[in-house]
Amino acid sequence: MNLNFEDFQKSNVNLKELNNIRVKNFKKFATQGFPTKKQEHWKYTDLKNIIYNNFKNLQIFKNEEISKYDKKLLIKDFEHNKIILLNGRFIESDFSFEDKKKITIKSLKNAFNDKKDFEKIKEYFTDDQNSMISLNHALVSDGIILEIDENYSFTEPLIIYNFFDKASDNKIINNKVFITLGNKSRLSLVDFYKCENNIKYFNNTIHNYTINKNAILKKFNINATLDNSYNYNSTKVKSYSDSIFENFLLSLGPNLIKNEIHCNLLENYSSCFINGVMFLNGDQHHELKTNVNHKYENCKSSQIIKSALLDESSGTYQGKIYVDKSAQKTNGYQLSKALILSEKSEFNSKPELEIYADDVKCSHGSTTGNIDENSVFYLMSRGLSKDKANKMIVEGFLNEAIETITEPNIKLLITRLFNERISETKL
Amino acid sequence: MLEINNLSATIDGKKILKNFDLEIKPGEVHAIMGPNGSGKSTLANVLSGRKGYEIDGKVYYEGKDLLEIPIEERAQKGIFLAFQYPTEIPGVNTNNFLKTSLNTVRKFRGLKELDSLEFLKLVKEKSKNLKIQEKILSRQLNVGFSGGEKKKNEILQMTILEPKLVILDETDSGLDIDALRIVSDGVNSLRNKNRSFLIITHYQRLLDYIKPDFVHVLVNGKIVKTGSSDLAQELEKDGYEGVEAAR
Repeated sequence: MNLNFEDFQKSNVNLKELNNIRVKNFKKFATQGFPTKKQEHWKYTDLKNIIYNNFKNLQIFKNEEISKYDKKLLIKDFEHNKIILLNGRFIESDFSFEDKKKITIKSLKNAFNDKKDFEKIKEYFTDDQNSMISLNHALVSDGIILEIDENYSFTEPLIIYNFFDKASDNKIINNKVFITLGNKSRLSLVDFYKCENNIKYFNNTIHNYTINKNAILKKFNINATLDNSYNYNSTKVKSYSDSIFENFLLSLGPNLIKNEIHCNLLENYSSCFINGVMFLNGDQHHELKTNVNHKYENCKSSQIIKSALLDESSGTYQGKIYVDKSAQKTNGYQLSKALILSEKSEFNSKPELEIYADDVKCSHGSTTGNIDENSVFYLMSRGLSKDKANKMIVEGFLNEAIETITEPNIKLLITRLFNERISETKL
Repeated sequence: MLEINNLSATIDGKKILKNFDLEIKPGEVHAIMGPNGSGKSTLANVLSGRKGYEIDGKVYYEGKDLLEIPIEERAQKGIFLAFQYPTEIPGVNTNNFLKTSLNTVRKFRGLKELDSLEFLKLVKEKSKNLKIQEKILSRQLNVGFSGGEKKKNEILQMTILEPKLVILDETDSGLDIDALRIVSDGVNSLRNKNRSFLIITHYQRLLDYIKPDFVHVLVNGKIVKTGSSDLAQELEKDGYEGVEAAR
C-alpha cells in the first residue's frame, strides 16, 4: 500500500500550523501502518488485513474532483433540515425549518485557511495511539463545523447525508465533523450513509461533539442499505452538567463498519445512552466499541446492543464503562444480546467495567445464543412458515433496542428501513 | 377426521407410545386421561409435528398421511394444538402474531385476508365472549403472562383460527375455577358437528365442564380402556392403578 502523501500536500496547502500537524501525523501513521489484530482495540477487526484483501491500490481522495449529488437519494416524506457531504466534502446545507441566526455552519476546508477558525478546533488534533486517528489528522480534506446557539431547540431533525459516488471508488476519504450545542439547546441529528452501487471506498471519519449545560443531543447513525463500503468512525463526546447524549446505531448495510464512541461525562448529572442494532449477512463485519467515562458524580449511562448474524457475518461489541474515583453515585448499565443464525457467523462481546469509586451502581450482561427452537415451533404450529417464524422472532428480538428510540418520527423512519432490510433477507 | 394406526414414538432410545390406535370422527370429543409419563404429551407433540421423535405407524388426517405434512401446513389445514406450556416470545406483539397467523390460515383456505381494522373488531368480539382482557393482546407474546393468561390466550387463538381438529394438551393444569370455566366455555362454544376435539388431561375436573363422547385411559403408551364420560368419574374414584388392577 502506497499512499502518496506528497501529492496530497501539493493540492492541500493550508495554514502552516496545520501543514506541520499533517506531516507529523503522516509520519506517525507511516511508522505504525493500519491497525492489526495484535493491537488490543483492534483484536476483532484486523483492519490491515481487511484493507489488503479488499483494496488493490487504495489512493488518497483528491478533493478537487467535484461532482453533483443525486437529489433522488434524499429521504422523502420526512421533514428535515439537511447537510450534504459528498465524498466527505461539504456541499450544501439547508436549515429551512429553523431560525438561521441561531446556527453557524462552516466548511472545514475553509477553516483550514482561517487562523481564527482553526484556533477553535486545533485542540482536537491530539496525538493518539490509534493510527487511524493519526491518518485522519494527516489527510483530513473537509467536513463541517456546526454550532448551535444557547437556548435554541431545533424544530425538525437535521440529517447529515454522507453520500459517496464513483469519484470515491478505491479511495480513502478522511473527514471530520465538529458539533457544539450551546447551553439548553436541542438537536436531533441523523448521520445517514448512502453510496452509489458497486463503489468501494474507505471512509475514515472523526466526529467531535460538545454538549454544553442542559443541552440534549440525540444522534442516530443509519447505515441501512447493503453496499460495498468500508468505514471507520470515531466519535468523541464531551458532556457537561445536566446534558443528555443519546446515540442509536442502525448497523445493517456496509461490508465493514467499526464505530467507536467515546463519551466523557465531565460534570454533574450528565447522561449518555448508546443503543443499537446489528443485523448482518453475507460476509459483513461490523464492530461497535463504546467507551463511557464517568469523570464526575451523579452521572448516568446505559448501552443496549442487540445483534443478529447470518451466513458468514461477524459482529463485535466492546463496551467499556470507566468510573473515576471521584465519580460517586454513578449509575451504569450495559447489555449486549446476540443471536447467531448460522453455523459460520460469529459474535464477539467484550464488556469491561473499570471502577475506582466505591458508591456506584454498575451492571452489565452479555449473551450470545441460537434462536429458540420452541419459539419457532410455537409460531409454525400457528401456520407460519419457518422463514416467517424466524423473521418474527428476530424482528422481535432486535426491536427491543429500536423501542428505546425516544424520537417518534425517527423511530418510524428507522423501523421502516429495518423492515425493508429484514423483508429482503431469507431467514 | 383423524385415524391413528399402530403408532409408536421413540425419543432418546425410549419408546413412549406403543402401537397406539385411535379414531376420531367429525364432531366427536375424545378425552385421553393417564398418569404422568404415560405418553399423553408425546401424542400431542407427534400430532402437531414437533421434531425429535422416531415415529412408526400411520396417522391419517382427513384421509391424508399427516406425518408427511409440514408443521405449518398442519395448522393451515385446521389442526390446532393448545400448548401445555405456551412459549414466551420476547419482542413479538401478541396482536401482530395473531393477525399474521389468522391471515396465513385464511389465505390457505382461500379466504380474504383481514386488514387491521377488521382483525381488531374480530379480536374484540372473541375476547369479550371469552371474558379475556384485551390488554394482554397488546403485550409481548406470553411474556410475563400468568399461567391462566397463557392458557386463555391459547383458547382465544383457537376461537379465532376456527380449526377443524383441536388438541388440548393439559390445558386445565394450573388453572383456577374461573379460568377453567373460561377455557371450557371457549371449547363448548366451538363444538359442532364438523369439529373434533382431543382433550388430553390429567384430572377429571375439566371433564365436568366439557362432556366428552369418549374417554380413553392411556397407560404406558397404550390405550388400556375406553368408555363413556362416566369412566372419568371412575378414574377419579379408583385412580389409574384401579383401572390397571381391574384388567
